[in-house]
Amino acid sequence: MDPAALAALGRLEVVSRWLAQGFLQGLHRSPKKGFSVEFAEHRPYQPGDDLRFLDWKVAARADRWLLKQFEEETNLRATIVLDVSRSMDWQGAPTRLTKAAYASHLVAALTRILLRQRDAVGLVRFDDEIRTALPPRSNQQQGHRIIAALEEPGGGQGSDAAGALARAGALVTRRGMVVLVSDLLLDPDEVDATVRGLRAQGHDVTVLHLLDPAERRFDLPQGESTFVDPEGGAAERAIPAEVRTLYASTVGEVLDEWRARCAAVGASYEPVLTDQPFALPLRRAFAARQRHP
Amino acid sequence: MSFLAPWALWLGVLAAVPLALHLWRRRTAAPVAFPAVRYLQRMAQDHAREVRVQNLLLLLLRLAIVAAIALAAARPFAAVPAAGHAPVAMAVVLDNSLSSQAVTDEGPMLARLREMAEAILAEAGGEDRLSLVTMDGVTLGGDVATLRSALAEVTPLDGAGDAARALTRAAAVVRESPLAIRQVVVLTDGQRTSWDSAAIAAVAREGVGLRVAVPTSTWRPNHALLEAVAVPPVWGSAGAVRLRVATMDSVSWRVQVEGRTFARGTVGAEGTAIARGRPMTRGWGAATAELAPDELRGDDRRHLAVRIGDPPAVEVDPSSGPFVARAVDALIDAGRLRRGAGTLIGAIARPGVTAVVLAPTDPLRLPDLNRALERAGIPWRYAAPRRSETPLRFDAMAAGKEVNDGQAPMVRRWYPLTLTSATNTEMPRVDTLARIGEAPWALRGDGYLIIASPLDDLATDLPLSARFVPWLGAMLTERLDAGEVGVIETVPGAMLTVPRGADALELSEGELRPMTAGAQMDAPWRAGVSFWRRGPTRVGALVVNPEPAESDPDRRDVAALAELLDATALPSDLRAIGPATFATAGPRPLDRALLLLVVLLLLAEALAARRGRRTSAPSLPD
Repeated sequence: MDPAALAALGRLEVVSRWLAQGFLQGLHRSPKKGFSVEFAEHRPYQPGDDLRFLDWKVAARADRWLLKQFEEETNLRATIVLDVSRSMDWQGAPTRLTKAAYASHLVAALTRILLRQRDAVGLVRFDDEIRTALPPRSNQQQGHRIIAALEEPGGGQGSDAAGALARAGALVTRRGMVVLVSDLLLDPDEVDATVRGLRAQGHDVTVLHLLDPAERRFDLPQGESTFVDPEGGAAERAIPAEVRTLYASTVGEVLDEWRARCAAVGASYEPVLTDQPFALPLRRAFAARQRHP
Repeated sequence: MSFLAPWALWLGVLAAVPLALHLWRRRTAAPVAFPAVRYLQRMAQDHAREVRVQNLLLLLLRLAIVAAIALAAARPFAAVPAAGHAPVAMAVVLDNSLSSQAVTDEGPMLARLREMAEAILAEAGGEDRLSLVTMDGVTLGGDVATLRSALAEVTPLDGAGDAARALTRAAAVVRESPLAIRQVVVLTDGQRTSWDSAAIAAVAREGVGLRVAVPTSTWRPNHALLEAVAVPPVWGSAGAVRLRVATMDSVSWRVQVEGRTFARGTVGAEGTAIARGRPMTRGWGAATAELAPDELRGDDRRHLAVRIGDPPAVEVDPSSGPFVARAVDALIDAGRLRRGAGTLIGAIARPGVTAVVLAPTDPLRLPDLNRALERAGIPWRYAAPRRSETPLRFDAMAAGKEVNDGQAPMVRRWYPLTLTSATNTEMPRVDTLARIGEAPWALRGDGYLIIASPLDDLATDLPLSARFVPWLGAMLTERLDAGEVGVIETVPGAMLTVPRGADALELSEGELRPMTAGAQMDAPWRAGVSFWRRGPTRVGALVVNPEPAESDPDRRDVAALAELLDATALPSDLRAIGPATFATAGPRPLDRALLLLVVLLLLAEALAARRGRRTSAPSLPD
C-alpha cells in the first residue's frame, strides 16, 4: 500500500501495529522463533565446544558425541538512530509523506516487530543535538515510550549523526544492532568514522538512506528556480527540466559512494524512497536482526 | 533570395522572446526549499560545461525555430543548386512531321528528336507537370515514365501536321497548370516550310516561355514525287497517270492500281512522266505511284483514286451555241465524253433528264425556258437580263481545285438566278460553282447545272479562254455525273466538308465510318485513298497525300528558328539540353524546406530537452 495512504488511516501507534502484524504474517517460519531454553537439535561435537552442552545421555547410550543446541536464550539489543533534522521535514510532492513522517512510521513498525520478538529496542533521535535517547528495553512500555518520542518535534538546523551513533553505541552495552535512519545529508567522513567504531565494538550496523523521489530524480515541476537548503541555507539556481539527467547521475554517484563506504566498514546500506512500501526497508532491517544468534 | 511576403520577416523579432525569457528567468528565479542542494552543487561543479552547452544549445534551437518560421512565412525563393530546379509546367512539342522520317548522316531525325526529349525528361523532377504534344495535336500528360513510353510510341506522320495547332495546345496545357513557371519546348528538324507561317506567329503564348532545339544534321539530296494525277479522270479501256517528280537524277517509278502493277518506268531530271496502262477492273479503285526509296521515304509515294468505266454520255442541244458544241466534240475526241442519251446541254430542260441549262441567247425565249425549268422540277428561274462588265469568280471549294489562276473572264450579259416562291421556305441543296459579285452565276443541284449566261462570246469571255474546255469537261464528267461525288484531294489532318450524296466513308484500312453530308470532319492522318459510300456503292474518293512542301530540304538552324519564334535556343548536345532546359526555370521556393527545417528543429529541441528530463538513474534495489 502507498505509504502516504497507509499513514492517513490512523495514528502512528495504530498504523505501526498494522505494519508489524502484516510484516510478521508475511514471514516464513523462522528457525529462531523461540525465546525459551527449549532444545532445538543436535550437532556433532567439535573440539573446543563447551562440554556443558554435550548430551551425556546420548553419549552413554550410543557412544556418539553430540552437542545439544537450544533456541536463543537472550534477546537482541537494537538501537534505532533517527535523524529528525529540518532536512527530513520535506516532501517533493503533497501526495507523499515527508521523510520524517515516513521514517517515524518505519521506526514505529520496526520497534513493534522487535518487541514482539522479545528483543530490546532503544531509540536515539537527533538533529544538531540528541533529542531523545531511550536505552534498549524489551517490555511493552518501551513501545509506547518510543512512539511517544517519535511524535516529539525535531527540526534542528544540523545533523550530528556522529554524536548520535556514538550515543547509540554507548546505550548498547553488549553486541547488538544499530539502525541508522537518515537522509544522510551530513558529513560522510564523520559518519564513516563512527560506524567504523560501532563495528569495532561488534555491533551490526544498518543504514537506511531515506530519499524523497524528487531528491533522487529532480522531477520538480518548477521552472528555473533558486533551490535553497533548509538546513544550511546553501542555494543553487537550476532548471530541473534541463539538468535532470545530470542531477540523477550525480545522485547515483552519491549513493554508490555511500554503498561503498558502508561496505568498507561492514555495514549494511539501503537507499529508501519515500514512495516505496514500508515492507522494503522493514525487510532489510529484519534481515539484519536475523543475522544475530 | 527573394520573398513573396517580405512583411512576414517582421515575425523574426519574435526570436527575441525566447532570448528575453532566457535572460529574464535567470534573473527572477524564485527560491524553492530543497534539502539536497548539495547534490545540485556537486552536479554543477562536475558538469558545469555540459550544463552550459545544453542551455546554450536549447536557446539556439529555440531562436532558430522562431527564425525559420518567420522566414518560411515570408515565402522565400532562391536558387539552390543541390535542390534542383523549381517546379515547371512544361509541354514538349515533338515534330513528328513527315520530314522527321529523313535519315541524315547522324541518324534518323525522329530518333534524334526522341533522344533530345529523353534527355529533357531525365532532368525533370517529381514536382514538374509534363506533357507531350505531337504535330497532329495529340497531347499526353503524365509522369516521366508515362511520357517515356509515349515517346517510344511516336511515329512519323504522313504529312506536315499542324505546327500552329500543336503550339496552341501546348501553350494551353501549360497555362492550365497552377505552377508559376510554364514553358513549351519545341524539338524540330527546323524545316522552313513548317514554321514560317502566320498561324504560328499568331499563337497566343502569353506567360509561356518558348524554347526550341534543332539537331545539327547533314541532309542528303532527296527526290520526291510531287504529283500523281489520273488522266482522264474516268478511265475507259486505257488510262494514264501523270507524274511530276523532283529529282536531280533519274529515278525509277512504279504505278499500282488496286495492288497490281499498272506501269513502271524511269523519270529523268526533267521531272515529268506519264504512266500508261490498261486497268483490269472497273469502278472506283485505289492507286499508288511511288519512286525508288531514298533517305526520306515518306515523299516517295503518292496515292490517287481512279474511276474506271465508260465516259459520260452527252447530248448537245443546238441552243447551246457553237462554242459548247466544239468543246464537247474535243472532249469526245479525247475520250472523256461520248455522244449519247445522257446529260442534255443547252437552253433547255426536260423532266427526268440530267441537264446543263444555259441562259438563252434571245431574251424572248426566257418565258419558255422558265416554264421548261418548272416542268423539269428545277427550282431556279431566270430573271430579266442585266448588262454589266463583271469579272467571273469561280468557287474553288465547290470546284474541287483551284481555278482562279490567271485573269478572270468577264461577264457582260447575264440573267440573275432566283428561286421559285414555292421553294423559298426550304433552301434546295445546291453548290455555287461561280459568282458575279455576290450573285450566283453557275449553280449545281440534284441532276442539273444551271448557268446564268449563254456560253457565247457576246455574253462572256469564258468560251474564249483556254480554261473553257477543261472547265466544261470537269463539269460534265466530275460534277454532273448523277450520283457521283467525285474525288476530294487533301492533306493529312485537314478539315473538310462531307460531300453531298455520301453517307459513309470507307477508310483505306477497310473500316466503314458513317458520315453526315455537310458536316465538318478531319481528314485521316495517314496518307491513302478512302471512298465515299452511298449505301453499298462507292460514289467518290477522298485522297490524302503529304504536302509537297515536306520534301523541301531547306532547314533553319536553331538560332534562326529561335529568332523567328521569339524563343530561347537550346543546345542540341544530349548532355547539355536537359540542364539548359531547366536552367532558367527560376529560383526554387524554399517555404516547404523551411517548414521541414522547423519540424526537424522542433524534434531536435524536444530531444535536447528530453535528454535533460530523462531520468537515467538505475532503479533502486528492493
